[in-house]
Amino acid sequence: MANFRSIYKIQIFLTILVHVTLALYEDQVGKFDWKLSFVGKVKFVSLEAKRIIVATEENVLASLNLKNGDIHWRQVLEDPKDYKLELLHVNKEIVTVSGKENTWFVRTWDLNTGTILTEWFINTERTVPSLFTIVNEKLLHIVPIRGLQVEITSYTLANAENTNGSILKGISRKIPAAWLNKDSDCVPAKSYIVCAVSSKLYYVDLLKENSMFVSQSLADLVDNSAGKVLLIEYKQDVPSVLLLKNNIAKLGTFNGENIQIKPFNLMPNAISISNNGKDLIYQLEANDNKNKLIKVKAKDPQTGLDSFSLDLEYPLGLGAPIILGGQSKGSVTDLLLSTTDDALLLVRLPEGKILWTREEALSSVVASEFFELPISELDASIEHEFDSANDILEMFSHRISTQIKQFYNLVFGNNLLQNSGLVRDEFGLHKIIVVATRAGKLFALDTLTGSIVWSYRLPNVQSFIGIDNEEKMLLLVQRTAQYAPLPAHCVLLAQDTITGNGILFEFDPITGYSKAGIQRLNYKIVQATLLPYQDKNFLKPMLVLSQDEQAHVYPTQAVSLIKDHFSTMFLYVADTENSRLSGYTLKYSTEDSLQVTPSWNVDLAPSKLIAVSAKPANEHVHSQGKVLYDRSVFYKYVNPNLLAVATMTSDPIYNSVLSVYLIDGVTGLIIYGTSHKKARGPIHLVHSENWLVYTFFNERFRRNEVVALELYEGHWQNNNIAFSSFALSQLPQVQSQAYILPSIPQTMAVTLTERGITNKFLIIALTTGAIIEIPWMFLQPRFTNMPCGPEESCIPYMPEIPLHSEATINYNQTLSGIHGIEVAPARLESTSHVLIHGLDIFYTRVAPSKTFDVLKEDFDHVLIVLVLTGLIVATLATKKLAARKALKQAWK
Amino acid sequence: MSNKAINRRQKWSLENVKTYRVAAEALPSPPAYSTSTVSNATLAPLKQVPMNLFISYMAGNSISIFPIMMVGMLLMRPIQAIWATKSTFKMMETSSAILQMLVYVFGHLVNMALALYKCHSMGLLPTHASDWLAFVEPPIRQEYLGGGVALH
Repeated sequence: MANFRSIYKIQIFLTILVHVTLALYEDQVGKFDWKLSFVGKVKFVSLEAKRIIVATEENVLASLNLKNGDIHWRQVLEDPKDYKLELLHVNKEIVTVSGKENTWFVRTWDLNTGTILTEWFINTERTVPSLFTIVNEKLLHIVPIRGLQVEITSYTLANAENTNGSILKGISRKIPAAWLNKDSDCVPAKSYIVCAVSSKLYYVDLLKENSMFVSQSLADLVDNSAGKVLLIEYKQDVPSVLLLKNNIAKLGTFNGENIQIKPFNLMPNAISISNNGKDLIYQLEANDNKNKLIKVKAKDPQTGLDSFSLDLEYPLGLGAPIILGGQSKGSVTDLLLSTTDDALLLVRLPEGKILWTREEALSSVVASEFFELPISELDASIEHEFDSANDILEMFSHRISTQIKQFYNLVFGNNLLQNSGLVRDEFGLHKIIVVATRAGKLFALDTLTGSIVWSYRLPNVQSFIGIDNEEKMLLLVQRTAQYAPLPAHCVLLAQDTITGNGILFEFDPITGYSKAGIQRLNYKIVQATLLPYQDKNFLKPMLVLSQDEQAHVYPTQAVSLIKDHFSTMFLYVADTENSRLSGYTLKYSTEDSLQVTPSWNVDLAPSKLIAVSAKPANEHVHSQGKVLYDRSVFYKYVNPNLLAVATMTSDPIYNSVLSVYLIDGVTGLIIYGTSHKKARGPIHLVHSENWLVYTFFNERFRRNEVVALELYEGHWQNNNIAFSSFALSQLPQVQSQAYILPSIPQTMAVTLTERGITNKFLIIALTTGAIIEIPWMFLQPRFTNMPCGPEESCIPYMPEIPLHSEATINYNQTLSGIHGIEVAPARLESTSHVLIHGLDIFYTRVAPSKTFDVLKEDFDHVLIVLVLTGLIVATLATKKLAARKALKQAWK
Repeated sequence: MSNKAINRRQKWSLENVKTYRVAAEALPSPPAYSTSTVSNATLAPLKQVPMNLFISYMAGNSISIFPIMMVGMLLMRPIQAIWATKSTFKMMETSSAILQMLVYVFGHLVNMALALYKCHSMGLLPTHASDWLAFVEPPIRQEYLGGGVALH
């Protein structure tokens, strides 16, 4: 019956939703969506009274509130893949230098509003690593050239007279330095440049005219033991530098042509903070106290004696900290710490209290997954009522106790039984999002509020490098939370930072609890996949392919479970280095030894493999065909094993050619192939049901284009009971159509619903920071010589895809540095969860066919109850009246 | 129904009209009267066909409440009538009316056919493959594929 109803509804919605206009009402803003903003791992920092100016690895310049760490303003600069921030200097205004190789942007920003004031270029001929520093309002660009000299160019920023257009002109000066080699390490120290080369220290004062490098033997300065001396910048009024050897730092200060080494040892993260002209050295040290692992020490810069020492209330979940900066005002000192897991904390001395923590690791999410919450204890007990079906008495008592509990809940509210509040709701709208970050920290976010439920730090873990240098980890769901009382089970696969071997971390995604902890594997992981069978604990076994083409199954005893299915299990691996696609079969495996045998190869060289896309594993295709205008059916070619592959070939005539192939992942058969001349990446593939959508940049017309491909079997279905890749009698018919996308896509995804009944939306993240939804119907290839109109629920072809502002699902919340989109179905058929991650994390829900399965929010329950009771009362009354009348009539 | 009411009323009625009524009912039918009613009733459904055709034509093929109601009535009435054939003919008090009965039923069947044709032209009959599309189960996949881009 439910099936009938849904079909009926779909019919209606298909006809109604020809022109889909979906938007948010003003009062719905923030009702179910949320946004978290980040700045990334902090590189440079400057504390300015009530605000903190930070410049980060993600090329972000931001001002944070000192009191709570909130972002006051944020400016996102160029893509961190190409450009790096080199300098942050705050005086009356903020000066930043960011760039790459030999081009740099020098920008000045307003301290209060973060608006850009000026922007200049610096362009040099040499592409060697260089340094920037600011001395006496002059920007110095220091280029050490190996075996020759140090070139110093000074630029005056105060007035723009010495500029040539937007290019900054400077005065250059060369200081001979024939001793510079590839191991030399140079740092600026106020007006000095200090370089350490093997056993000698060279320094020069740039303010003096015609000054030359002065050399000093390092053996005289630091102890004589073996080991390289590293130089660390040390910021204070007197030009000074930290000399680090064997993890012990010495402070050296310069005076004219002399260097003076202070007679005490420091930690490498020591910084100097001045308070009313008096300097103090602050550093962090490990503590013996088990509860307070970190202590902060202040030392006198002259004598090195401890001024004070304090144990910090350091939270356990965070990694080892270093001091980035600090400021003192009166008796209060604020220290800004950064940890190995990219968190940013502010410590206020003398109390040693942590004022706030920012989890900046969330700015670089490398894997994400949605998790359903477990059902409440009460629901679980109802569900398990017939588990012990033997004993009638037990069942009776169980029933009675459950109903007493139910009654109790009804009277006193059901908060008492929900121990953590993380209980499944009726529509599956409350979920947990588990994200793995580049820093190796796992976070669980609540979809309702966006708050962090738990976090888990994995030390010495890094992400894999996938296609196009994309960093990723694998999050595989072995068991969902629907098998109460068994907890959900999830696995994270990553890489060890030192050995590069695989890391396996099993955990409960709801609580973050891990029984086994981190398991370091003794092989390198190439790929991993979940197998479609469940063992007796409802755990889906995971198959991991190692670099030497060995298969490993977790849990290991699951081999006996899958032994009957070896001949139906296949693997594919896309090797981006050799542009090769390989298929493997497990057919030749036995229970004792798993054999991964290569079964096919598609060699795409010399083209470069740039994108591979498989269909979502949990996708359901509800409708098996498309209804044509004459009410006949065109059956879809729904091949769950189909892979979409995009390659780029450089061509002497057409510059570059993009080729897209559809390859069956089981047999290796190329089902379809097409190419676009003068096309350029980035390519984004979205593969779902029986269609593929991809975007590319057309160099000839200089625009972004979208192509939709749709595969059909024809008017007859080959086999309507089973689908096998081997049983292919004829190639599917491919329909295709191209469109213009009047914007630049950054990443794409498609909505996913519980049963696949709802229409599909493409979710496209644009470089403008907007996330737009486009109905698949707009893109679906139109059939030639067939009518297309509202009666066929078909929109006539428009070359340019309309991007309405109502289609922006993040309304005015611009998102920066978008990296990926994660989509998951809710239990409500109409709704799907969407998580967009990047520099910001944005969560929202989309309903492509509107929420046809829930009553509208403004549905008038009172009115309908009133009308119904009114009608019932009226019926009863009229019945009575009618009876009376009939009686009267009878008496006449 | 009316007899019953009259009877019930007679219980309490002291009026003197009873004899008059009985006398009226007892009047013999004029010659050839009954046969004409039987043939009338037998041919009535066939006589309705042109009228029904006209109504169907006027109602059009759009799916809205009135054409649907009309088609519903068109379909339901013959069924009800066929069901009640025996009682209809019993009222006629003719015992040897098999042929008439057949003609009567045939007339209703013609009406039903008309209604079905109307349903068909309105697109209400599930005669196309697309009408059964929602019941087509997705084929069961025989092979399972896993994998992805080689990680390093």
